[in-house]
Amino acid sequence: MSAARAAVPALLALLWAAPGAAHHVGTYVPKDNAVSANFKEIKFALQAPKLDVARRLFERGALRREMGAQAATLPPGLEARTLAAFRAGDAREAEGHLVVFFAALARDLAREAVRQLGAPGITPVARAATGPKFLEAIWRYYNLIDFAVSMRDSKSSVAMRLAFDEAETYAKTSAAPAAVNPCAGPRRAADRARTAPDPDRLCGSLERITQILTALIEASTPARRNP
Amino acid sequence: MTADGAWRLPPRGVLLVAVLLIACAEIGGASMVRFKPELARWARDAMLARPAVHGLVGVRDVDERILDEALVKFDAGLRLFHLHAEGMGLVILATTSVATTLAGRGAGRLLIALLTAGGAGYPLGYLLWSALIPYRGIEEGKTIAEWVVWIPFGGATILALWWLAGLVAVRLARR
Repeated sequence: MSAARAAVPALLALLWAAPGAAHHVGTYVPKDNAVSANFKEIKFALQAPKLDVARRLFERGALRREMGAQAATLPPGLEARTLAAFRAGDAREAEGHLVVFFAALARDLAREAVRQLGAPGITPVARAATGPKFLEAIWRYYNLIDFAVSMRDSKSSVAMRLAFDEAETYAKTSAAPAAVNPCAGPRRAADRARTAPDPDRLCGSLERITQILTALIEASTPARRNP
Repeated sequence: MTADGAWRLPPRGVLLVAVLLIACAEIGGASMVRFKPELARWARDAMLARPAVHGLVGVRDVDERILDEALVKFDAGLRLFHLHAEGMGLVILATTSVATTLAGRGAGRLLIALLTAGGAGYPLGYLLWSALIPYRGIEEGKTIAEWVVWIPFGGATILALWWLAGLVAVRLARR
């Protein structure tokens, strides 16, 4: 057998096996946007505690600009109250206003997700793809304030986490969360059998997220402590 | 080594391909630095013109993350082309020198052809992937680049390298 003939089966075997060995093209790590980066700077300054630094970061930062841009959908006077809290050196009050701001951003995303998922003419493929993208964006904002929310209103924090977990389950193509979390316990037979996203039930979870965040915003304006 | 203990140079065409590949890598690297904002702007505009391909939903907080990931991968593709073209140019020079020196006339030609074509073609897959990202998306672009370039050319290189390794091992065993 010639060398060329001998090479053919080996080459075919390689071509058959190659798609299985995923090509490594690097990993993407999502970056903070200007608003979330500014929030983290302010939070670290508040924790330091360097209130004058936090005030300067707020006054000149992207977060305040975004507050101004989103003023129509935020509780009236939020920007002015936040600035006043920074100037008064009241870290807890300022943090409370920032919680309201990010909760409002996450709530608006949840509302928009429900609107888009329920829009007439949307294809099933687009519906299945849209849900996880919105959930990721909602969590990116809510995750920034989750600790502060749990300290102020633990019931809302737990309710939000449960609603989000449920939404994620309906958005994914398999019942993966139960599989990767051995503490989650056995899943219902209906959920175990489900292998496709369920946009209708996802809409229900997103509406629950909207309700929880709306209640949180209303209760935190002004800030409230658990009894 | 040959019977007289001398190394043989690969054919001039192979040397030209290897040197051209390294030159393309350097031009690619320099262009990436020089035209970074222009390239990013072009890719971003091309992606915004194809919202359905990238799954854009018209909400800034959602779309920016999608565009950012695509731009990072677009840049990564260009970087990987630069790195692989530099490296594979040297790999072609080294491996075809060994093949020319050790392999017989018939098999040596095929081996050198596989090493040269595989080594020169493989890095172009990264360039193709980068170019496809704005038009076809990250995953579809990757699939096309895999089937059109990476699997055939990378496969040829891997096959030829194992063949060459076997050849070297046989020569060692005969001594």
